[in-house]
Amino acid sequence: MLYFPKSFGLLLIFSYLPFSALMAQVDSTQAEEEEDFSMYDNLEFVDESVKRFASVKVSGKSPDKLVSVGYDFQGAYGINASDFGTNTAANEQVSATHGLRFAANIPVISKNSIIIQAGLTYWNTKYEFENSDKLIHPLHKTLSENGLTTTEAAISVYKPLTETSFLLARVAAGLNGDYKLADFQPMKYNRYSVALLWGKKPLDNKQWAIGLSQTYRAGELNYLPVLMYNWTSTNRKWGVESLLPARGDVRYNFSPRSMLFAGFDLEGTSFRIGNKNELNPPFNDLELRRSELRFRLKYERQLIGFIWISAKVGYRYNYSFNVDRVENGEDFFRGFFGDQKYVMENSLTNPLFFNFSINLVSP
Amino acid sequence: MKKVILSALVSLMLVSVSYAQNSEEANRLIGVWEPSHGKAKVKIDKIGDKFYGRIVWLKTAKNPETGEPRVDKNNPDESLRNTPLRGYRILKDFVYAGEDEWSEGTIYDPENGNTYSCSIKMTDENTLDIRGYIGVSALGRTDIWKRLKMPSKK
Repeated sequence: MLYFPKSFGLLLIFSYLPFSALMAQVDSTQAEEEEDFSMYDNLEFVDESVKRFASVKVSGKSPDKLVSVGYDFQGAYGINASDFGTNTAANEQVSATHGLRFAANIPVISKNSIIIQAGLTYWNTKYEFENSDKLIHPLHKTLSENGLTTTEAAISVYKPLTETSFLLARVAAGLNGDYKLADFQPMKYNRYSVALLWGKKPLDNKQWAIGLSQTYRAGELNYLPVLMYNWTSTNRKWGVESLLPARGDVRYNFSPRSMLFAGFDLEGTSFRIGNKNELNPPFNDLELRRSELRFRLKYERQLIGFIWISAKVGYRYNYSFNVDRVENGEDFFRGFFGDQKYVMENSLTNPLFFNFSINLVSP
Repeated sequence: MKKVILSALVSLMLVSVSYAQNSEEANRLIGVWEPSHGKAKVKIDKIGDKFYGRIVWLKTAKNPETGEPRVDKNNPDESLRNTPLRGYRILKDFVYAGEDEWSEGTIYDPENGNTYSCSIKMTDENTLDIRGYIGVSALGRTDIWKRLKMPSKK
């Protein structure tokens, strides 16, 4: 039998305890108060191959929204729908246009060398007509009965090239129309938006980029230059946040958690009008080219932690509410100078609007 | 009985050796690191069983408007807004979780006064993936920090 003295066991136990206690009490900040910080001035990288990248963040800029749930409301205005087929022109009053707006932009990969985000947008727009039970024109009828729905999936990529330059790309597929979620419209009516920008970030408080886009911001398919410019003043009070032609703002920071903006949004897309109850072939391949400029004031502030609220109020100016026939869903390019005729050239009066959203913001 | 004592002591020794190895692994985090933006250097120390990091160098050490040392003016707690940023503890309460990861900590961003949940992954001896996030790790951003050393003598 192995002989094992009790004192040896106790010795081991006690020799263990001070050791573990010592390990648990390493405090290398004891000399914190009298530390000479100048000793850190000239440190160098252990790994000499370190590469720095342009950060996506611009100091003082409003935080990006990861998840947003909001409500949009436009006041009373008129829709003058032009003649169409056997339908004569008709002017109807809308008492309100309103609906839910949901958006999520979740980082799939987020590191210094690349950021990839997946986005999902769902907007539901309802049209409340003053004489909803007496509507005759098929455009008024479908807007009243079905409203307009936008569902968009997007991928965004931010790729820094050097310490001061970067690429930005976004691809989005949108299914827009007078459909219901329970009765999705065919995928052949998907509309694709693409943007590619190259930019510089020479300073922490300045970032700009230029590029090209395939976009439906003006309602119909278009190819437009894009200009991004984000800047914050040295005292962090004033700034500019713009991605032209989609939006532009002058910003005033009350604090890093409270900001006021004055600017505009250009909202638009092409909606398939497939109202089965009213429109028979060949008049069921229609697309409403809807685009509106929204001049507005916007106030954003932190509510608690990473939850922010955003409130907008302003004037909605209709840019386009015309209708094209898009045979079998195959879209075409008219641009600003094409001579293809619209099926309907409609006009709208312009109301005031407000928008309120609650948002989870990004780190 | 002796066998029981012997096995207990052997277990204790193994635990002790394992703890020492674990602690040695954990202490690799100690040092001075530079975030990707290059505007600061952060020294990570160990206090008790946890790791903390404080700013020891700032690219812009003084407020350009006042000429005074920069302070934590964006802190949501008004009473802390005059605290100098140099020396400020921005990493707190990290514990070694094994497999080159330190977790359960927080990171403070003086740029906006926000504190995020944070985990640290050492991808190699001189590189850290610092992930700040909100609630769940998926809602976050990773910054890569590099280890610094005293300048080599020429």
